[in-house]
Amino acid sequence: MSVYKVRVPQQEKSWYLPGIFIGLGFTFKKMIQNLANKKQMPTLNYPEEKYQYSPRFKGNHVLTVKKDGKIRCTACMLCATACPADCITIHASEDNDPTVEKYPISYEIDMLRCVFCGFCEEACPVDAIRMGPEWQTPGWNGENFVYDIKQLAYRNNLNSGKGVVSVVEDKDRHKII
Amino acid sequence: MAEVKMLTEHYADDSYCGIEGYQAKKGYEMLKKALKMPPAEIVTMVKDSGLRGRGGAGFPTGMKWSFLPNNGEERYLLCNADEGEPCTFKDRMMMERAPHQLIEGMIISAFAVQSKKSYIYIRGEYQFAVKVLEQAIQEAYKAGYLGQNILGSGFSHDMDIYVGAGAYICGEETGMISSLEGLKGQPKLKPPFPAVKGYLRKPTIVNNVETLASVIYILRDGVEAYRKFGTQKSPGTKLFSVSGDVMKPGNYEVPLGYKLKDLIEIECGGLKLGRQLKAVIPGGTSAPVLTAEEANRATLDYECLADMKSMLGSGSIVVIDDSRCMVDMLGVITHFYHHESCGQCTPCREGTGWLNKVVSAIKAGNGTQKDIDTLCKVADNMKGRTICALSDAAALPVLSFVPKFRSEFEYYIREGKSQVRGISYAQMHH
Amino acid sequence: MPKCTINGKQVEVKDGTTIIQAFKQLNEEIAHYCWHPALSIAGVCRLCMVEIAGNPRLQIACNTTVTEGMVVSNNSPMVKDAVRWGLDFHLINHPLDCPICDQAGECGLQDQYMKFGMYDPEMAEKKVNKRKAVDLGERVMLDTERCILCSRCVRFTEEITKTNELGIFNRGDRSEIGTFKDKPLNNNYSLNTVDICPVGALTSKDFRFKQRVWFLKDKPSVCNGCSTGCSVDVYFNKEGVWRVKPRHNEAVNGYWMCDTGRNIYKNVNRVHTDVEGERGEKQVKRSISRLVQAVHRMNGQSEYMQTSFALEQVRTQLASFKKGDVALVVTGQQTVEEYNSLLGYFTKTFSADDVYHWQNNPQMWGEFDGLLLRGDRNPNTRGLLKAFDQYSIKSQPWTQELSKYKLVLVIAPENIAAYPDIAEKAALLKNCKSVVVLTTSQLTPFANLSAETLQIPLKSYMEKSGTFLNYNGVEQKFSPVTTVVESAVSAEEFVAVLGGQTLAAVQKFYANPIERVENQFIHQRGEM
Repeated sequence: MSVYKVRVPQQEKSWYLPGIFIGLGFTFKKMIQNLANKKQMPTLNYPEEKYQYSPRFKGNHVLTVKKDGKIRCTACMLCATACPADCITIHASEDNDPTVEKYPISYEIDMLRCVFCGFCEEACPVDAIRMGPEWQTPGWNGENFVYDIKQLAYRNNLNSGKGVVSVVEDKDRHKII
Repeated sequence: MAEVKMLTEHYADDSYCGIEGYQAKKGYEMLKKALKMPPAEIVTMVKDSGLRGRGGAGFPTGMKWSFLPNNGEERYLLCNADEGEPCTFKDRMMMERAPHQLIEGMIISAFAVQSKKSYIYIRGEYQFAVKVLEQAIQEAYKAGYLGQNILGSGFSHDMDIYVGAGAYICGEETGMISSLEGLKGQPKLKPPFPAVKGYLRKPTIVNNVETLASVIYILRDGVEAYRKFGTQKSPGTKLFSVSGDVMKPGNYEVPLGYKLKDLIEIECGGLKLGRQLKAVIPGGTSAPVLTAEEANRATLDYECLADMKSMLGSGSIVVIDDSRCMVDMLGVITHFYHHESCGQCTPCREGTGWLNKVVSAIKAGNGTQKDIDTLCKVADNMKGRTICALSDAAALPVLSFVPKFRSEFEYYIREGKSQVRGISYAQMHH
Repeated sequence: MPKCTINGKQVEVKDGTTIIQAFKQLNEEIAHYCWHPALSIAGVCRLCMVEIAGNPRLQIACNTTVTEGMVVSNNSPMVKDAVRWGLDFHLINHPLDCPICDQAGECGLQDQYMKFGMYDPEMAEKKVNKRKAVDLGERVMLDTERCILCSRCVRFTEEITKTNELGIFNRGDRSEIGTFKDKPLNNNYSLNTVDICPVGALTSKDFRFKQRVWFLKDKPSVCNGCSTGCSVDVYFNKEGVWRVKPRHNEAVNGYWMCDTGRNIYKNVNRVHTDVEGERGEKQVKRSISRLVQAVHRMNGQSEYMQTSFALEQVRTQLASFKKGDVALVVTGQQTVEEYNSLLGYFTKTFSADDVYHWQNNPQMWGEFDGLLLRGDRNPNTRGLLKAFDQYSIKSQPWTQELSKYKLVLVIAPENIAAYPDIAEKAALLKNCKSVVVLTTSQLTPFANLSAETLQIPLKSYMEKSGTFLNYNGVEQKFSPVTTVVESAVSAEEFVAVLGGQTLAAVQKFYANPIERVENQFIHQRGEM
């Protein structure tokens, strides 16, 4: 058995006021420096400025669609199976198109439960769900956080139309973008 | 020993297909003799004669007859005239030239197994043979050889023709029984064998046309005389349908044990001028192919060909000379079995399609060297895994063509064209 | 009684037993698709290959009879290779659409592939394309590409229902299952073909796409659709029950159950889910079908309350009545235990003459469709009559108005589809002063009575344990499957509360929350 020696900090008997002023002085110095030269400032002026994450960032989900506007998802529910947070609910139904087995009539993700692990994206056999760049998820109450197809798919404008692939055709599936 | 005309003695005579002509050549004499004999004695004679089924499997006929259970159930005799094996045309000639020979043989056999009803299951494509047989059956009824109390013997027998709808699988005995029952022509599980539960779940004997006709000659000449022809284990004479690259293709009756080389060289007039023998298929397309070297050694009997890992089958000999591409030939064969598989057992249903697709891919120039092994593996695993022998019939050609002519397959895959013809199959047809 | 050795184990079997039956007797694993214990032998899948000592060729176990001293094995490399190839032949034309196939998770091909397969496919050719999504009838869909042509369904319609709707058309690898023109698969046993289908070729329209089977759990129960009382497996999750499948019980139903009985689960579910609208506008519609809260109705006003409170009310009300004031109406839909406690309490406290038997069309009770379904659509009529005998109650059908009573206690039927006379019976109660109804469903005709009505949620049979006596007296005990409505009470609990106990002390929950199955796929990920 190993023994650790724990050092108990000694309370130093000294005045605290000089320390405060030294600290404030440092802060004040940095404020002047940042005001003088904004470029070297290490923080962002959120929410006016937003940070550009890498394309691999795992933000809110995006359901991809085909060129004809139909949703790619085949309602196989493998994402719901893989989901460790149990936040995906899918209702499948028969498609009128005989070549399509089924499609989701409702696809809901509870964003408050989601842990953004990305397992759904990996489980998907048809590349129908991708983790997008969006990460701000405001809402007034709990219901606002249950995203349905309308909020998950058809997101061409996301990220000012750049960097988000929301339309995927079969032949483009394995292209590296 | 050259060609022996036993069954085919009077085939050149056009009147032989009518009842007068047949009777003039001592027709129906054996029936009269048979009806005076105890049925069991005929069965014993056939058993002693060693007559083997001429349809393909070569099962001893007398043995088959003795499998019938003695439980007083109604028995059926079926004549298998669904000559589906590609390149076989012996039964057709027999039915067209001598229908009464078949009918007489059938009545004798029916008497031997004490069956009151028999059917001739004839191939749908044999329209002329159907007409001739129908005519002959009418004549036989009029002459009192069929119907109630035949020739005052107290034995009654009815005969009917059933025309098939054109499926190779209905030549398999249980497939034929299914078809006759009005079901889809699919083989049935064995056991129970047809001799125990066959047509309408009653004891049934199924024999080939040639087998039934041969019974007459066993009765006529006696067991000893019949056994003089052929070998110890394959006695008698047999019709061989020779086709392919010979000068005189046709049906030849020779004793079993005859040399294949002699049949080709002497009876059929040899190969076409300037051609070399490349291969011979000795028993219909389902029999494994023999190389020229093997063909020169082979004798036409069940044992010798079995030793060469081939079979006598229905006795249709396809002679292939060096102008033929073996890949194309295998393509034709696999296509045939893919088309004819009944689709019941999985290995055959899927395997025949698989083989056909692989060979087609090779023929289209899309083959890979791996395909050769795939063909062998698939065929190997189709063999002996199904209810009937169609799967084997499809697998055996592949398992003989590919190893024996591997270089031709490799060349076809490598070059995308036939080694023999120099062009691909697609180029040849377009 | 021949003895044989199977995979090294000795077993004695009956005469005429096939090898595959001997395997099943020993609980030895053997792959098979076409063989089904209740159907004839087809011998077409060629997967049940076994090696018999002394026979150089492999034989199929389903059509080979056991003989004395036979030594059989199916674990030799030769058999395993044969099965692997047999499986490969099945798979070469089978579409790889497991993710969207409803059978995934309970598919014979998947099971065998995990055992014998796991190889790189050698088939490089195109698969045969056949018809997808073929409508076979009112309840069954067919996907001919997925079909492995085991012919189980064909043999089922041929041998069990003898209706012969299905057949195999075409030949070779173009073979397809199909129905004849103008003769769809609409017999009342059609969904059994879905059960016996080893792959996803036949699917039930009712269950299709609703759930993936790995989200469901199953528990044994009994069907309450008719007096046959088929043994069933109930598939459920936390949202409710999703489907019912027959469970093998030689004494009652064999391997089958009728399609009518498969709809009974809908009475159990709290919410009825429906899909409405055309493509693009399809929407999931949910409607409440169970009574989820006790409700007191008087003069057109409804007051919802907790069950315990409602029961307190009934208790105080009943305490003030004497013999002859109260009538009890029961149906054949409750369990034996409930009848015992109800009738025991009622005959002790009130009069045995005031018990009425609510019968649905008794003239149909003798009917039988020849296979399973009986005209008496109550699971426990026999149990009720037995309880009547036990408490010396004269069985009197409920046909007259019950206005002479101060309070009528109605134990309403659970399977309301079998009771077409609900509105008529509600009319018989219109002049009563006070009605207490224990009901599983909303039971709308009873909600609009002019009398003072108290509706109390009743547990459905899947939420309680009990016993049903079927038409010929076979006693079938069943345990609860799950709890769907927490506020519901069984009649037993109801009587216990009337006897002075508190609801909290007697009410039993069988909540069976689906534990998330540890996902192998996810948990292996860390090691990759």
